[in-house]
Amino acid sequence: MKSQRALLLTVLLVMSGSICAFSGEPKVIANLSVQIDKISADEVKKIFLEEKNSLADGTHVEPVFEKNGPAHETFLRQYLGSTDGDLRYYFQALVFSGRGSMPKELRSDAEVVAYVAKTRGAIGYVSAETSTEGVKTLAVVNTQDSAQRKLITRVEPDYPETLKRLSIGGTVRLQVTISPKGNVETVALLGGNPILSESAAAAVKQWIYSTGPSRTTLEVSISFDPHR
Amino acid sequence: MHRRIVALSSVYACLCAGLATLQAQEFKLFDRTVQVHGFASQGFVYTDDNNWLTMDTSQGSAAFTDFGINMASQVTDKLRVGAQGYDRNLGQLGQYHPSLDWAVVDYRFKPWFGVRGGKVKTILGLYSDTQDLDFIRTFALLPQSIYPIDIRDATIAHLGGDVYGAVPLKHGRGDLSYTAWAGHRRDSNYSAYVYFLQKYGVAGSTYGGLQYGADLRWNTPLKGLLIGASRMNADLTDNGSVVYPGVGSFQYSAVSKADWTNQFYGEYNRGKLRIDSEYRRFLHDQIVNGTTETVSDVRGWYLAGSYRVTKRLWVGSYYSRYTITSVAGGVVASSFPQQTDTSLPANHIYDKVITARVDLNRYWNAKVEGHFMNGYGNSSYPEGFYPQVNPGGFSPNTNALVLKTSVSF
Repeated sequence: MKSQRALLLTVLLVMSGSICAFSGEPKVIANLSVQIDKISADEVKKIFLEEKNSLADGTHVEPVFEKNGPAHETFLRQYLGSTDGDLRYYFQALVFSGRGSMPKELRSDAEVVAYVAKTRGAIGYVSAETSTEGVKTLAVVNTQDSAQRKLITRVEPDYPETLKRLSIGGTVRLQVTISPKGNVETVALLGGNPILSESAAAAVKQWIYSTGPSRTTLEVSISFDPHR
Repeated sequence: MHRRIVALSSVYACLCAGLATLQAQEFKLFDRTVQVHGFASQGFVYTDDNNWLTMDTSQGSAAFTDFGINMASQVTDKLRVGAQGYDRNLGQLGQYHPSLDWAVVDYRFKPWFGVRGGKVKTILGLYSDTQDLDFIRTFALLPQSIYPIDIRDATIAHLGGDVYGAVPLKHGRGDLSYTAWAGHRRDSNYSAYVYFLQKYGVAGSTYGGLQYGADLRWNTPLKGLLIGASRMNADLTDNGSVVYPGVGSFQYSAVSKADWTNQFYGEYNRGKLRIDSEYRRFLHDQIVNGTTETVSDVRGWYLAGSYRVTKRLWVGSYYSRYTITSVAGGVVASSFPQQTDTSLPANHIYDKVITARVDLNRYWNAKVEGHFMNGYGNSSYPEGFYPQVNPGGFSPNTNALVLKTSVSF
C-alpha cells in the first residue's frame, strides 16, 4: 500500500510539472487561436521561410524565431535545412528585393512563449524543456515521408504493473525522428501520462523503420488499456 | 561633384561606424510596424592591363560604391507595401544619381496566387532581382557573362506588375514557383547603354520600353536542388542625336525588331557546399534610323561553387564564359563591326575567378577576389570593356584584383 501511494504521488508530481521530453528536440508552439494540433514538417518549413502565411483553413500565421541558442540551431537544421547565417541571407534577399519582411526574432525561449501566447496566429519554437503554458504545442509530422517509412521491427512497451492494477491507462503521443538508416534517433513527448510515456519511449527507441532518403519526423500514438 | 562625394562618404562612414551595434530599425505608423533596412558597399579594383567596368582600374580604382535603404510594412495579413532608394557610382556609371530601386504594393491572396505592382524587381534567372546584394553571396562580382554589373539597368526592374505563386506537387514531387510580369523599363541617363553609345557620337540618349516575361522554377524532391527557366521579351526604343563636327547634328533612333532572353539555371545546396550554374542567350535585333539592321547574339554561361570553411569564412570559384556575334546590314552598316568569330578576343570574355569572404560580424563582411580574363568582348553591345577608358586599344588578357566590403542591417 505504501509503495502504491509513493508511486501515485510520483505520478501526480510529474504530471503537475511541465511536459517531460526525452531529447533536445525543439517543440513547435502556436498561439491558441491556431486551430490545428498537428502540422507537417513541410508546412513548418514554408511558414518559417515566409512562403506561406496562412494555413489550409485560412488562419493567418506569423513565424517567430529565436536569435540563437541550441533550440534555434536544431530547429534550423532539422526543419529548414539551413544555418543561421544562410537564413539571414535568405531573408535579406527578400527584404532588399521587395518580396518579404524580416521575421520577428526574440532572445530566449521565455520571450518566444510570451510573444506567441499574446499574438494571434504566431508560431514559434522552443527547447523541449521549456514550459509552454498559455500556448499549444503542435505535433510535427512528415506526411510525405511517413507514408514511405514502414515499421520493420516493433517492440511493445512494458505496462507498469502498478499502473495497470490501479487502472491507470490512456494514450501516449510521441514525436519520433527516424534516421535515413531507419533507426529512431530522438523521441519527444507530445502528450500523455509521463510514467507510461517513459515506458513507451523506451520501446519506441528500439523500433526499426525502413530506410529513407532523409531524416523523417512523425507522430506515434501508443495506447495503454488496463482492461486488456 | 566633389561635395556630393564628400557628403556620401560621410554617410557611408557613419553607417560603418554605427554598424557594430546597429540593428534593423522599426517604428510604428498608424499602429502598423514599419521596418527599415539598409546596405552599403565599397570596392577597389586593380587590373594589370585593360581598364575595366568604366573605371581607371589599371591605376587602381575605388570608384565602386553603392548603397540603398528601404522601408516596408505588412499592412494586413495579405497586404505589404514598401520602397527602396538606391544609389551607386561605378566608374563613369551611376555617378551618385539616386534612383527609386523598387516601390511595391503586394497582395498575396493565397500561397499559390499573389499580385504586386509598382516598380518591381525583375525575376530573370537566379539573381537578377538580388544582383546588387553582394553581401548575401560569397562572390564580390557575380559572373559577368550573365549578370554584367555595368548594364544592371537592363534586367533590374520594371514599372508594372507581377503575378506569382507557388504550388506543391503531389506525391512528394516538390514545388513549382512561378512569376509572370510585364512593365516598362527605363534606363538611367548614367547607364552603360547611354555611355556605350557615346562611342558612336550619340548624345542625350534615352533608352527604354516594354518588357514582359515569366519565370518557372522547380524545387525538386532531391533536397537542395532547384532548377528553373526564365524568358524575357522586350520592345525597346533608343532616341538621341549624333553630332558630326563640322557637319551638323542628326537624330539617332533605334527600335527593337526582336529582343528576347532565354535563361536556364540550376542550384544545389548541401551543407556547407553551394553549386549553381546558368545559361543565358540574348538576341538583340534592332533597326537603326530606319535604314540599318543590327543583330547581336549574346550567349553566356557559368559554373560556380562555394564552400563555407568556418562560420565566418567562405571560399569560392567560378568559370564564366561570354561570347557575342554581331552582324549589320543597311545604309550605315559600316559603322558597326561585323563579328562572327567568337574565338577572337574582341568577341568573347572567359573569366576564371577565385574568391574568399570573411564575415567580420553579423553586419559587415570583406572579400578578396581574383579575376583572370581572356578576351575583352568590345563590340556592338556593352560588356565590361569600353574604348572610352581604353583609348590605346585592348590587350587580350586582363587580370583583376577586386577588394570589397559591405555592411547591411
